[in-house]
Amino acid sequence: MKFEVTKEWCMKMARLEHEHGTDVEIGAGLFAADPSTQQPEYTVQESADPRIAFGRFVRLMRRGRKQTLEKLAEDADIDITELVEIEEDSHYTPEPRTVYQLASYFAIPSAKMMQLAGLSQQRDSHLVSEAIRFAARSEKVTDLNETERSALDAFVAVLSEQK
Amino acid sequence: MSEFQIYLLEVASDAPIEGSLIEGITEANVNDWEDAWMPALARALQQLKEKGVDRRLWPQSRHWDWRRKAEAFKGLLAAPSFSIVCQGMTQGLMIVETLESCRLLQQKGKPLVYIQYLETAPWNRPGLTTERPRLTGVGTLLVRAAIELSRSEGFGGRIGLHSLPQANAWYANVCGMSDLGIDPTKENLRYFEMTPEQADAFIAKGV
Repeated sequence: MKFEVTKEWCMKMARLEHEHGTDVEIGAGLFAADPSTQQPEYTVQESADPRIAFGRFVRLMRRGRKQTLEKLAEDADIDITELVEIEEDSHYTPEPRTVYQLASYFAIPSAKMMQLAGLSQQRDSHLVSEAIRFAARSEKVTDLNETERSALDAFVAVLSEQK
Repeated sequence: MSEFQIYLLEVASDAPIEGSLIEGITEANVNDWEDAWMPALARALQQLKEKGVDRRLWPQSRHWDWRRKAEAFKGLLAAPSFSIVCQGMTQGLMIVETLESCRLLQQKGKPLVYIQYLETAPWNRPGLTTERPRLTGVGTLLVRAAIELSRSEGFGGRIGLHSLPQANAWYANVCGMSDLGIDPTKENLRYFEMTPEQADAFIAKGV
């Protein structure tokens, strides 16, 4: 492909774009049609899937704060139905914004939360193994017991590690 | 992977800033989306929430996942992609397709470049940021890239797209594209198409 534009052309067109002010946000494409929703075969299909730990992690963080699902959804500004999916379905892939909101709310680095949620490629094998270890140690029981508390604290420490 | 020199307008200084239009979306671009676009978008959405702006008016592309898009289209010859990088940061991304054909009566059935996805960085979007946008011209240059690709493919500059609602007026009035109305099969988005003559007229606006 040939592509030659002058500085003058770029500036003139950029000013034209700018003149249209706040009404214009240039974008195109179907907003609900991420390829991911059309091609379910593209998901992180590693044998050690950290998503197993993601829902468990969110659940324990919520319970550790003695929050209801509604309260967490409201405080983190996420959709309640998605929060239920996250906690109940270990293979559910959440929206990127939801993961970012949860990461901000729990004060965990968003990149690691994205990886944990299966939204970014695994760049950190240590995190994957820690996630699986965490999932194995944390049982789905009503109260946050000592074992779960200890597993959660250890996992938060791993997630908070700065590389 | 070809790279072309472009210029964007830095709004604060009213000065041209040199950047690159790159054929392809790389891991670095996707990392920019994850590490910089998403936090900026989240902050912007938080501000919209605090202002009480109805969620229906929030940018519909907020759920887009460029890592998945880039992966899904990677290596497909009929789905070239483009990125604009300036000041060491990805400023805009676009994926197009070359297998679509025109709908406009006067060029019906002829091949065109269909813009599958086009998005600019949150800090360059006037409706998203409370301050002035940082750089402008990103969207314009991506549309120009689609036109040039169309020309090089022998499609004469014909392009088509489904517009995000906030951009309808821009495609109609500034790009001069034909508005074929709401497409009920595509989430009720408006479909726009550009003829070779309209492509010439669009480019002439900057000369």
